[in-house]
Amino acid sequence: MKTILQKTAAALAMAIVVSSCSKDENETTATRGDFILAVTPAASTGVADYLINTPQLESGKISTEENGIEQDGTYRYYVTHNGKFFSMLYGQQNPGAVTTYENINGKLTKKSNFRTETVQAFAPVNDDLLLVKIPRNIANPLANWYRVNTNSLLIEGEGTVDVHTPSNNGESAFFSWIKQVGNKVYAPYFSIVASGDEVFGTNHPDGAWIAVYSYPGMQLEKVITDDRTSFIGRYFTDGLAVVENGDVYAFSASVAIKNKVLTSTKPSAITRLKAGTDEFDRSYFFDFEAASGGMNITNWLYIGNNNFIVNATTRAEKGNYTIGKNIGIVNVVNKTFTKVDGLPPVDQIYSITNNNYTPKDGRYGYIGVNLKEGWGYIYKIDASTHTATQGLKVEGGVITAVQYLKSK
Amino acid sequence: MQINKFLLTGVLCALVFSIKAQAQNLSGFVKSNRGEPVPAATVRLQNSSLWTISDHDGHYRIKNIKPGTYILMIKAIGFKTQEKELSIESGKETTLNVALAESTEQMETVTVTGRTIAQETNRQAFNVTAVDARKLYNTTLDISSALDRVAGVRVRESGGVGSNFNLSLNGFSGNHIRYFIDGIPMDNFGSSFQINNIPINVADRVEVYKGVVPMWLGSDALGGAVNIVTSDRYRNYVDASYSYGSFNTHRSVINAAVTSKNGFTVQLNAFQNYSDNDYKVKVEAWDIYTGAFSPAARLRRFHDTYHNETLIANIGVVDKSYADKLLLGITLGQNYKEIQTGARMEAVFGGRHRRGNIIMPSLKYKKTNIAKGLDLTINANYNLGTERNIDTLNGNFDWYGSFKPLGANGESGRTLSKYKNNNGLATAMLNYRISETQSIALSNVFSTFNRKGRDAANPANDAFQGKKKTDKNVLGLGYSIDVRDKWSATIFGKYIYQNIINEGKTAGNSSMNKIGYGTAVTYFVTPNLQLKSSYELTNRMPEANEIFGDVENQNANPGLRPEKSNNLNLGAGYGFSVNTNNNFYVAAGAVYRRSDDFIYNRLDINQARLIADNREGVSTWGGDAEVRYSYKDWLSAGTTVTYQFLRNLQKYEPEYTGVSPLYRDQMPNIPYFFGNGDVSVSLKNVGRKNNSLTIGYNLLYVHAFWLYWPSRGAKDADAEKREVAQQLSHDVNFVYSLAGGRYNVALECKNLTNADLYDNFSLQKPGRAFYLNLRYFFNKNNHN
Repeated sequence: MKTILQKTAAALAMAIVVSSCSKDENETTATRGDFILAVTPAASTGVADYLINTPQLESGKISTEENGIEQDGTYRYYVTHNGKFFSMLYGQQNPGAVTTYENINGKLTKKSNFRTETVQAFAPVNDDLLLVKIPRNIANPLANWYRVNTNSLLIEGEGTVDVHTPSNNGESAFFSWIKQVGNKVYAPYFSIVASGDEVFGTNHPDGAWIAVYSYPGMQLEKVITDDRTSFIGRYFTDGLAVVENGDVYAFSASVAIKNKVLTSTKPSAITRLKAGTDEFDRSYFFDFEAASGGMNITNWLYIGNNNFIVNATTRAEKGNYTIGKNIGIVNVVNKTFTKVDGLPPVDQIYSITNNNYTPKDGRYGYIGVNLKEGWGYIYKIDASTHTATQGLKVEGGVITAVQYLKSK
Repeated sequence: MQINKFLLTGVLCALVFSIKAQAQNLSGFVKSNRGEPVPAATVRLQNSSLWTISDHDGHYRIKNIKPGTYILMIKAIGFKTQEKELSIESGKETTLNVALAESTEQMETVTVTGRTIAQETNRQAFNVTAVDARKLYNTTLDISSALDRVAGVRVRESGGVGSNFNLSLNGFSGNHIRYFIDGIPMDNFGSSFQINNIPINVADRVEVYKGVVPMWLGSDALGGAVNIVTSDRYRNYVDASYSYGSFNTHRSVINAAVTSKNGFTVQLNAFQNYSDNDYKVKVEAWDIYTGAFSPAARLRRFHDTYHNETLIANIGVVDKSYADKLLLGITLGQNYKEIQTGARMEAVFGGRHRRGNIIMPSLKYKKTNIAKGLDLTINANYNLGTERNIDTLNGNFDWYGSFKPLGANGESGRTLSKYKNNNGLATAMLNYRISETQSIALSNVFSTFNRKGRDAANPANDAFQGKKKTDKNVLGLGYSIDVRDKWSATIFGKYIYQNIINEGKTAGNSSMNKIGYGTAVTYFVTPNLQLKSSYELTNRMPEANEIFGDVENQNANPGLRPEKSNNLNLGAGYGFSVNTNNNFYVAAGAVYRRSDDFIYNRLDINQARLIADNREGVSTWGGDAEVRYSYKDWLSAGTTVTYQFLRNLQKYEPEYTGVSPLYRDQMPNIPYFFGNGDVSVSLKNVGRKNNSLTIGYNLLYVHAFWLYWPSRGAKDADAEKREVAQQLSHDVNFVYSLAGGRYNVALECKNLTNADLYDNFSLQKPGRAFYLNLRYFFNKNNHN
């Protein structure tokens, strides 16, 4: 009997010790720095990402193990603006949220959190963050927008814009993204049927449109059109870039669909709006598909000096949601495309990070390359040599964003 | 159809037995000299091979006795053995009621010898704990909160009265655990009749089987079972109570029964709960129009009213030659529940609500000694109840109660659904006593589910497209040997079959069958030192709600596979006294579980709803311990402690080729270290003779645990790794009983320190609350 009592006591003592050991770590395992990585562990339902501060992206390794700030939700999207880091929750039927951080002594520190709608496009405009929730049901003609002041962190204005009026073709305009150009908001869009099973399908696959809105009034001022390409950008993808001289470049992925089949007859291409004009420059056309041997752009990162790092899919890989694993450099003035050397073979890549960092020096970009093993690397892309160099290894998840915010 | 067959069988059986029952029989009632029934008493006709054992109600019956004069010996533990002479006359039913005197010498040596049924239950070979509900009749507890005090059990509630609950047993929870009422599966009773709205007063005791579930509870539980045994201890009684307390909470319970001398009986249980649940919570709040952020606002819940009303009525006969018990009954109930939050307090609602009702006719039939040593039990019921989900306000609320109209999709997903699950159930059980120590039992449980409904606000809702139907049958066979207070053992097998018919978007029919088996052995080193061990290979079929979705929070997953688990328990219990006045009981147990295709709920891709999915493997090891102490008959104290470690054994995640970073990590969002403590003092003859005062104190402790995978993310204070904080809750109660317990006045304080308590991340439970409870109990025994 005595032994049973002793064993019981021992088991209890052990339980207490085990449980008290598993906590009380005062020494932190969190890393600090001005770069912010968003990393999603596999099977981590409920956590969109861990946000990890890191001082550099060039070498060594970093992990989500005991490191990083949990971000709720399935999907989060990130943007830095006005000295703050914004984390936006996306969930179709769920309310969205905007969580704001500052980088203090190399660590993200929460400033605010509020619920909004789940939005499909957001962008810095002046000192604001403009968020737009876009309907995908023809019965609902109104997109809701919210203007969040990044100083006060309050919703300072909101309203609606009619998504039937820009095209007036019986379909709904779905903004692929929004972008501040001068003192206007440019909203390139694709036309969608928005009913029944054909939600994102269209009868107008061969046109490009940019709706131009005043700011902060958000009044529709004009629709810029082009029939040389399909629509600009893609779902949740910024297809516009403003270069140093004020020219605006636009890419078309040429991924319009109907009945779930790609239908556009136009090539994936890059077009231009000259600075100060609000029309497409008819004298400029860069047929990306021809220059790349049949690929189409799925996303890009402007690194300065007219150079872009582009993701592309081959003709076989092409799909309306597929994100390209082929990386190349495009110079929009010279109309050149060069594949980047030094990346892992495409069949070993799980995904390429969609939201990447560049110092905008015209030369370098840092992009996340995730491998099928379940971890990834930051690759430093040198546009001048068209090479990629393996940098920081990221363990315990896949990289979903690479951002920079100088710490206070 | 199946139901009809069973009904017919029951009626036929009744006829057959009434014809057979012409021979001379002896029956009666064994009670203590305090008037309480004595179960499990051995009743033996000396000089014959005839004997029986009294049932839970103290009834016994010996059939087919040759006419003559006999000596009847009645023996029960904790009582003095009695012998009575009687004569059996030809063709006549003889009745003999016996009152046993308590055996004082035995009582003095070891107090636990005079065991209650609850204590008897604990002495089974199974890893089982029985909660003696009668000790809690003067509290406002419902069944789930009473279970929260059992070692190995943790009941997680999402809020106040009527809130969602999740009982976990050695780390298993949700559908891994099966619920029974008097051995009848409660799987599909609907929202109106759940352990979180049934008051403890409806039960006599509540049995918790951990990991290994006896065959006679015919079911496919993975991690254990809870069996609520209702009170039919008294044949003519009234037990009524009413309580009022904080947050405008009203509860009433009336239990009553009338039984005539010729065995006609009417039994009634009625209960009601109402609460505004408008307690204050600490919440991250923002203004819905400006986003103005208040990180730690203290605000009242404003849309959380809950009420339910239930009536259970049974009418029939007891102690007839054709039936020990034949009852036709009906359960009628309804509930209304406002939904204040989503899975997180950030998602706040002001219009969503849910209604449900239960209309369930039932049949209960029991007959011992159909043939010598052969007992038959038949139960059947059918739930005609309706469930309704309502979300028709288009827009959003904030925590200040402001509403902002928006869009056309309700608050969370516009719905106005109304459906019936058409649950039917039939069980039959045959038990044959081979000898005084050995028996075999055969049990069969058939259940059916057939959802029909529509969503007026969303007619395309896939939940109602085409047939959604399941049939499940569990057949069990078991053998038991029980040498009282020496050793006992049981071995059993279960065959489970399930057929699923699924039409609509996710169409696909399937049928599956599984075989499980188990054994339980106990050995008494001394009558007060018990060792036990049990093992079961369990299988659980996917539930209808997991396959088809629950229309509200859960999405369909028709591809879900059955889960299985190897469950092993080891345990020991020892009772002893020091100086005759100090009584101790110490018990400790160890558990090991290894589950494959483990079914768990994950969030769907939009995090709006849950979806059940299989995980490759999960292992659990753990232990629990209990210590009880009493001094004389006025002081009692005890504590339970549970530790369990659940480990993820999924090595590869879908889509990835490398070893998962979460392989062998501790499973998140599961409490792993917790315990209870209680002290109570009973003072007799306070104020006047036969009035007593009991002062009780309860402590609940739950160690903090992580919401998401423990190994991921920084854990420093400002890293916001989501943690369900440590819980330390104190409850105090005073019960003043007058006239030997006929009138009772109780005052209860829950969460005395007004701590912020959470069972689930961010879903705060009520703060300090007071309840006043009045109870009247009257029992008239007509067996004299």
